[in-house]
Amino acid sequence: MIELETYFFTILVLSMFVNLGLALYGVLARPSLVKKIIALTILSDTANTFAIIVGYARWPSPTLPIKPPVLTNLNPSQVDILVFSQQAVDPLPQALVLTAIVIGLAVTLFLVFLTLQAYRLYGTTDVRKISKLRG
Amino acid sequence: MRTTKENLVIAISMALFVLLLSLVLAVGGLGYILPPPQVRLIASWYLRVTFNPFERLFSAMAPEGVTSIVWDFRGLDTLFETTVFYLAIIGSIAIARGVIGGHKEVDEKKLGLSLIVKSVTRISLGMILAVAASIALHGHLTPGGGFQGGASAAVAPLILLVVFSRYFIEKHGITKNTMLILRSIGLFGIGMTAFIVVIIALASGAPAFVFQNQPKTIAPTGMPFEIGGALTGGTLWFFNVFEMVAVAAGFTIIFLLLAIPEEEYKKILRLGGGEHE
Repeated sequence: MIELETYFFTILVLSMFVNLGLALYGVLARPSLVKKIIALTILSDTANTFAIIVGYARWPSPTLPIKPPVLTNLNPSQVDILVFSQQAVDPLPQALVLTAIVIGLAVTLFLVFLTLQAYRLYGTTDVRKISKLRG
Repeated sequence: MRTTKENLVIAISMALFVLLLSLVLAVGGLGYILPPPQVRLIASWYLRVTFNPFERLFSAMAPEGVTSIVWDFRGLDTLFETTVFYLAIIGSIAIARGVIGGHKEVDEKKLGLSLIVKSVTRISLGMILAVAASIALHGHLTPGGGFQGGASAAVAPLILLVVFSRYFIEKHGITKNTMLILRSIGLFGIGMTAFIVVIIALASGAPAFVFQNQPKTIAPTGMPFEIGGALTGGTLWFFNVFEMVAVAAGFTIIFLLLAIPEEEYKKILRLGGGEHE
């Protein structure tokens, strides 16, 4: 009746949607800028995980292939390349996520810097209080 | 403020929501089916041409598919992502303008953590840098590359900053300005590597593309993909090295700026911050 693999995979995807909702709640509803930044990092990590799942390919069988799909010699044959391209996972989402992580780190550091400066100037990171400041 | 008990109830109800809804979906046949063992057609194409001596005109000639995509097939994407990175760091430097810091005469031997931590840091520092260099320099062969290597290398100055002090590392040459120069060298290197095939082709009068790596149909000039039996992946190796320098120096700048003591900021803000009153 219930397939265990499908159940686990559904838990995985669904929990990521819940994570997305929680992160959006944190970004939109929490008043503190620090909490907003934390929620934003959770949001970007969830988005990255979604991208990785898009590139996921199932391992063909529990016992085969024995060795991971890697090209190891300098002069591969046509068969080597064909086997490699049939067994490896999609590299495109990984390439996008890898740059997204570093850019996300730089942007997060910039936001932390802005928040720190706002705290130095106004003495608070609460957006409700900052918006009421004049000047 | 919520109490701990209320937080616990919220967390458990979230977990139960996910588990039960998944159960309902899976039993009802609406669950997410597992992805097939085959990848999509475009991914299969990328994997087939990433290192393929039989299709030199399409191949990036590097066995690591992710690096081939990052710096060859979708190289312009990565160039503009590097621009975003550049702007984020320039923004941080602009916020901290006027704050120089680090000129105070202090006895840096008294600052920082204990002698044990300092000794362990001295030992492990070389290892951190070696791992970072290995990640970046082998980026075209094994998982890794310039971004990851640079982010790992930036851990070393961060640890120094925490374990010793800001004054210690500024005395040993890791200042904002030297890092800015290092970062500019890295970015300049990325720019030059993007144009190197064009420059080589111009000398012989052949057509070439910007961001070209291997020879293409109408642009026969290309970088050698191996030197003495060692794979370099053409321009990929140079991109990785320069990106590592740029990323590591960029992160070090932000860490240094974040470590400026609060009093110095307060001083600057009090002197020039008239518009905030």
